[in-house]
Amino acid sequence: MKRKIAMALVAVMSLSLLNGCGGDAKKSDSASEGAATSGIFSGELEENVTIQVLENDTAISKGYFSQLIEAFNKEYEQYGITAVDANMDQYLDLANDGPYGYGPDVLYQANDVIMQYAQGKHILPLPVEKLDSYSQIPEAAWQAYMVSVDGNTYTCGVPVNVQAPMLYYRKDLLPEDWKESWDANSNDIPDMIEDWKNMYDFSVQRHQENPSQYGYMKSLYDVYFSSGFLFSYGGYIFGDNNTNPEDIGFAAGDSAKGAWILSQLAGIMNEDCIDDTITTNAYSKLADGTYFATLSTPDTYSTFYDELVNEYVGQGLNQEEAQKKAEENLVMTGLPKLPESGNLTEDNPKLVDSKTMGGVNGYAISSYTKYPNACLAFVNFATSYEMIMLRNETLGIAPAREDVASDLGGLSEAMYEELDKGNIVLMPSIKEVSQIWTPGQTFFTDLAKDAFRSEAEKKYKDLDSMEAGLEDMCNQIHDAIYTLE
Amino acid sequence: MLEGFKNYIGVFKNSSWRVKLSALIMGSGQIIYGRIAKGLIYLFMEIAFLFYMIARGFKDIKGFFTLGTQKADAWLGIAGDNSVVMLLMGIFAWIIVALFIGVYISNIKDAINIENTIISGKHPKAFIEELKELIDRKFYVTVLVLPVIGICVFNILPIIFMILISFTNYGGSTVPPELVDWVGLDNFKKILTLSKFAPTFIRILGWNILWAVVSTTLNYFAGIGLALLLNKDCVKGKAFFRAFPILAYAIPGFITLLAFKFMFSYGGPVNQMIRNAGGTPIGFLDLDAKWIARLIGLLVNCWISVPSIMLLATGHLSNRDMSLYEAARIDGATPFQQFKKLTLPFMLFATMPVLLGQFIGNFNNFGIFYFLRGGLYLDGYFLASDTDLLINWLYNLSIDNNYYCIGAAISLIIFIITSVISLAVYVNSPSFKEEDTFQ
Repeated sequence: MKRKIAMALVAVMSLSLLNGCGGDAKKSDSASEGAATSGIFSGELEENVTIQVLENDTAISKGYFSQLIEAFNKEYEQYGITAVDANMDQYLDLANDGPYGYGPDVLYQANDVIMQYAQGKHILPLPVEKLDSYSQIPEAAWQAYMVSVDGNTYTCGVPVNVQAPMLYYRKDLLPEDWKESWDANSNDIPDMIEDWKNMYDFSVQRHQENPSQYGYMKSLYDVYFSSGFLFSYGGYIFGDNNTNPEDIGFAAGDSAKGAWILSQLAGIMNEDCIDDTITTNAYSKLADGTYFATLSTPDTYSTFYDELVNEYVGQGLNQEEAQKKAEENLVMTGLPKLPESGNLTEDNPKLVDSKTMGGVNGYAISSYTKYPNACLAFVNFATSYEMIMLRNETLGIAPAREDVASDLGGLSEAMYEELDKGNIVLMPSIKEVSQIWTPGQTFFTDLAKDAFRSEAEKKYKDLDSMEAGLEDMCNQIHDAIYTLE
Repeated sequence: MLEGFKNYIGVFKNSSWRVKLSALIMGSGQIIYGRIAKGLIYLFMEIAFLFYMIARGFKDIKGFFTLGTQKADAWLGIAGDNSVVMLLMGIFAWIIVALFIGVYISNIKDAINIENTIISGKHPKAFIEELKELIDRKFYVTVLVLPVIGICVFNILPIIFMILISFTNYGGSTVPPELVDWVGLDNFKKILTLSKFAPTFIRILGWNILWAVVSTTLNYFAGIGLALLLNKDCVKGKAFFRAFPILAYAIPGFITLLAFKFMFSYGGPVNQMIRNAGGTPIGFLDLDAKWIARLIGLLVNCWISVPSIMLLATGHLSNRDMSLYEAARIDGATPFQQFKKLTLPFMLFATMPVLLGQFIGNFNNFGIFYFLRGGLYLDGYFLASDTDLLINWLYNLSIDNNYYCIGAAISLIIFIITSVISLAVYVNSPSFKEEDTFQ
């Protein structure tokens, strides 16, 4: 009996082994197929083909993507070109899947993700000057998609929208008399939203009036948010337009002043700013009024909004009133200006623009597609004025196209201008960028912790020590990149 | 071994042309002696092997040495060589060659056997008889053949692959489509000669050994203690209390870890209580918290690992010979003496392999400090923090950078360290020395 069972097991095992072989054979088939394609943009559309498009999850869930492919398929019906949802994970691995014919034809991703593929030539260089959007998109955004191969520069993606940290605050938490006491230039914008010095003063005042309440709150450790303060005073990530990892610039210029700003801001918060506590509880604490303002990315707007609506409902409003009130009071806006001296307690300081780290999301075409011209037509269509406009309406993105941004006005226009002015420092597109996070996180954590150390234990007492700290951080990044190369 | 091999060569030399023919055409000797089915199987195997070698085997073995000569370029439509796949297929080809050599030797042995049987005037076994033997006397061959092949493909192949990676320059910017090359011992030289490397390595190794020893001991005794406690007659509602550790065990480890990280964060419940009591919050896991963080790591690891030890110990404790305890009590032994002289030796004997497994597991416990206190590079450490274990450091050095070759080299070093320690401990343990004590 036992033997029979064993024999049966052996049979099952051999079957399953054979199964594995079957899968393999299929794989190698499509490999040779994929290898045979060579993508050249001849301008001649491939007819009667289906292209797989990988979109962002939110675009799919909010219905924008289905509208986009519907419109595209209608427009290109005469050529028989159909775009479909690639139905793949956002975090695909094109480098490993593409050669075997598994990747999408067109993909929408952040610039740093797309450009990692560009270095291995997994996405195609595009004839971007032929696209309708070419002249509408600023140079800074195109630069995020440029790669230099064998001495030539290629552009491998088409920018769609801009991502950068935003200031969130609640209008209804402003002091009642803010128009008199917090609007010195009478422009109807509260002063604390206009510059960090006033934000600092207001935070101190708010905490003094009620020790359980705070003004501006944000965890310092997060490099994405904190490094902008360094950039505002001359810091940068990598030299030569973020392409030279030998030159690490977090300590460049007067960036120590940025570190000083951060350390002064830590002084008006509590210990929660040392670890990720504020990052995780900001949604609820902004809603319950403990915090007045914080930094976050535009895509978290709905989370802040939902929390606030819940809070208002809890206070006795009905759902509709609560939503209306939340829309009115929750404001997402650009960052306040900084004092040139780096001193938040200086009176009437000379102000400079705040810079932030940011990214540009856009479309790219896989090198393994069989229909490059149809894909290019899709990208051209998806980055047209109407589609970008629709994208903004459904998803609330900040467009990279100038005409859409200026027609929309408001925040979209402001973001576009910031990008155009170079105040949004785009995340480098080289792989070495993965080494900046841990050293940066360590320095900013140390800086935040320092605000709560006793006077005798403090490490960062003046600008020199902060500069030394930043240089240490740069050395660590350099070591991490080069030691084992 | 060598003697036996020489013997076979001698026998082979003295054998007839039939055996010598089957050295060239496998199975021919068997066929000539009338064992046609078996001969055909051998012949088929040779043809299949030759077919494989011509179809891809020779190419794969060549690829194993060159690791590719043509770089892929998707823009120009050049498929190119994928070094990693070539290395993998190369190893696979070597395994096939090794298996074939085994079959080849068995073929010659078999031909000689048949010949000897016939010379001695007996009838060699018929094919059917031999098949019947396979499900009778030689049943082990039948059941083992597939698992052995499975182990070769799914176990040995990846291990060899990993070891070989440490002798290449795979990683960093040298990933497909770039071509990978053999670099000999360069990676090991790099690790050992790096001036920044040694101080951190020694610091981390010291802490790592301390961590592995303390956490294993702590988990082990806490687990046994809990099992003994829940085994006591005076404890009411045992099943109920046993359920709690099981619950802790059933929750995935990283969720527990993230929960503990939150508990000890500045905004977590522990600091909330301290704040409510009027104190200043304590950075349990922040960058100044060296020993507190290490202690929390030990206790959290206890929380995760004790239940499994408790379950194991509960089972073993029920196997104890209770008459020994009765005798001990009559002789006036205290409960502690009973534990020291009876329970502990028994438990150590029964669980030494598990204990070693725990030790290795703790030595390479990646999750605890990655989740509790990841993302810090501290002063005095090169790209590591003071709670990082070797495995965390390995991760920082290699995976963040994609330096797969260096990662493979360091894991080979870790493997040597842990295997030397565990082998030494095991060989000196009662489970190995006095194998039959409790049988």
